[in-house]
Amino acid sequence: MLAGALGLAGVAAAFFLCERERFWINWVLWFLFLLTTGLGSLFLVALEHVVGARWSVPLRRVPETIAGLVPPMGAAALVGLLSLGTLYPWTSAEGLRDPLVAAKAGWLNEPFFALRAAACVLLWTVSYVVLVGGSRRQDQTGDPRFNRRARRFAPLFMVILGLTVTVTAFDWISSLEPVWYSDIFGVYVFAGAFLAGLAATTLFTLHLRDAGRLDGVGPDHLHNLGGFLFAFTVFWAYIGFAQYLLMWYANIPEEVFWYGERLHGAWGGILLALALLHFLVPFLILIPRDAKSRPRLLFGVALLMLAMHWLDLYWMLFPSVAGGPLFGWPELSFALLFLSGGIWWVRRLMDRGEAMPVGDPFLREGLEFRL
Amino acid sequence: MNPAQGPFSVLGVFDTPDALLEAIGKVKGRTGHRLEAYTPYPVHGLDRALGYRKSPIGGMVFVMGLVGALSALVLELWTSGWDYPLVTAGKPVVSWEAFVPILFEITVLFAALTAGLGMLLLLNRLPALRHPMLRSRSMALLTRDRFGLAVESAGEPLDPEALALLLEDAGAAAIEVVERPPAPGPASPKLLAAALGAILLACLAAAGTTYWGIKLFPRLIPMAHMLDQPRLDPQSGSSFFADGSGMRPPVAGTVSQGAPPRPLPNAEASEGLVNPLPGSAAVFRRGRAAYDTHCAVCHGLLGNGEGSLTDAYGARPTHLTAGAGRELSDGAIYHVIVSGKNAMPPYSSDLTEEERWAAVHYVRVLERALDALDTDFQGGAR
Ligand code: HEC
Repeated sequence: MLAGALGLAGVAAAFFLCERERFWINWVLWFLFLLTTGLGSLFLVALEHVVGARWSVPLRRVPETIAGLVPPMGAAALVGLLSLGTLYPWTSAEGLRDPLVAAKAGWLNEPFFALRAAACVLLWTVSYVVLVGGSRRQDQTGDPRFNRRARRFAPLFMVILGLTVTVTAFDWISSLEPVWYSDIFGVYVFAGAFLAGLAATTLFTLHLRDAGRLDGVGPDHLHNLGGFLFAFTVFWAYIGFAQYLLMWYANIPEEVFWYGERLHGAWGGILLALALLHFLVPFLILIPRDAKSRPRLLFGVALLMLAMHWLDLYWMLFPSVAGGPLFGWPELSFALLFLSGGIWWVRRLMDRGEAMPVGDPFLREGLEFRL
Repeated sequence: MNPAQGPFSVLGVFDTPDALLEAIGKVKGRTGHRLEAYTPYPVHGLDRALGYRKSPIGGMVFVMGLVGALSALVLELWTSGWDYPLVTAGKPVVSWEAFVPILFEITVLFAALTAGLGMLLLLNRLPALRHPMLRSRSMALLTRDRFGLAVESAGEPLDPEALALLLEDAGAAAIEVVERPPAPGPASPKLLAAALGAILLACLAAAGTTYWGIKLFPRLIPMAHMLDQPRLDPQSGSSFFADGSGMRPPVAGTVSQGAPPRPLPNAEASEGLVNPLPGSAAVFRRGRAAYDTHCAVCHGLLGNGEGSLTDAYGARPTHLTAGAGRELSDGAIYHVIVSGKNAMPPYSSDLTEEERWAAVHYVRVLERALDALDTDFQGGAR
């Protein structure tokens, strides 16, 4: 509470005292951080429905609850539309003088941008209501038809997510440097989002287990979460490196300048930290079989992954507006506000209902899952 | 290894995986023999129920993955960085970025092969063609929709009646006593001969098909992507250019590096040229490389005019280390290299200025070698 109030005060102060750019880039960073975490969790929920996984049924309420971040963060994204004139060069006549940017004006213009952002938020909210709302209703009704409906909707959601995440990545992140191109950028952001969703799910699961609210969730369930984390650190690194390798090889000015800004000096140090802590260290830690089901270790790794997802976004966003890494009281206030707000929101959602999908007919089978 | 006595195992057949897991709990600890389960698909929780120790495969895969990564790194460093450095796209020959994909693939290859083969061959000792279970009547069911729990003998005798009771108590729907297969007799010489003969025949057939296949269909190249790509071969024509030729002459006035244009009207004018290179060991080595590559086919490795091409060539290349050849000045040899003479084509386009003079030095070395002085053998090159 106190942290949240402090953060709120700090953010309000930042709005009046800071340069507009600094305020808005923080805003974009933080709503993207919580939004991608929520979307990653929602993807995990959809994944369970698509493949018909049973082991994860007892855990499903956790990512469902974290996905509750999506609607409020969607609203924060809509507020973020106010930042367009400050942050995004393609909104100014000067920015449009570059022929490469002018050629993209059909996509990069304020009305269309706002329309896309709103459409994304709408699609996410509808998906959230169908997947998570239905699951909560099933707690009371125990209606097995929900499983069939979710199973039919989940693949559609995956397509929606693929498109909207790409649009979000292109619009909110890469259009800060409107000259830059990268086809794979949406996949890269998705990889980070899914990993963040997994990490948040792991953290929250462990927390609820300690609080005694997830009876029957044992080391075998944790092992699968650990396995997911392990696999997707590699996926994230694979995609990130694929993007870099092709640009490095081709060495085309309108591509490499983006890395040029982010490879040297302190930004380069951050990239190195990402390579080590977002990939190599968790990868090595999670290799042994036992490591994947050890709660304390998993907690640490998941916390690290979340922090690294934040750093990843920071490294993508901030170099576009700041010469070197910035971290002062405005950044701290934003962190306090959004983190405490996000945690408060997710906990409130969790406390309002069951911690497991008690109406799901496959719950028993999920609880009996053994490796 | 003394031949084991009695039946190999007593097998209980269960209808569901749950019944199997339950039975394991009941049977475990109540018999001194080994327990083994047979299921048509992996059953969750089975290895823990049976109390198997942790498989060593993870460690094996990790180590072999590391070995793969290191081998890839050494391979790449050696081939691209050391043995055959080739600049591509203006990148440094040792670029870690370019190494990563191969490093990754080879690591995965080593790890995956170790996992697959290590599991099948090393740990499971497949193919176990004489495994007693293969003769079990229940095997057909166990590969379909039933689940088996066997109390197996590792050589010690079993008590079939007691074990059957135990398994029935644990809920087995059917019991089978699995006998050991009869010990294999010595392989009959006839069979051995037939096997060897078959292998020989197969080899002959394969060799023959390959041989005749290549003879009859010489143009059938299995993978011709490199050959068939759209590109111009040397000397081939092209409709792209107005003159119809695919090869382009250098732009007029071009001077190749290391070959300054020098007016050389005739041999007399070159007569007085002085070799600008010092007679050092390094220069001799370069000269020898140039000579052996470009001149030796005609003039012979010793400069005696007996090269491998001489017979086919018709014209007689000059003996460089005797007679008139010996009398030539440095400038004259240089002139011949640059301009050629009668049947000898000019070599100005193949040799850089330095290589030409180094070759001149080397011709002199060959001459000197024919009647070397005692002092030449003290302390190597002068
Ligand atoms: C294709 C065969 C061929 C090659 C390769 C060749 N030569 Fe010759 N060379 C000849 C022939 C034939 C003659 C005799 C020309 C004549 O006198 O009509 C000759 C003559 C000479 C002469 C004597 C010229 C003179 O004035 O009598 C020298 C010196 C000589 N070659 C040096 C070289 C050197 C150095 C190279 C290597 C760069 C070389 N040759 C490569 C065929 C060759």
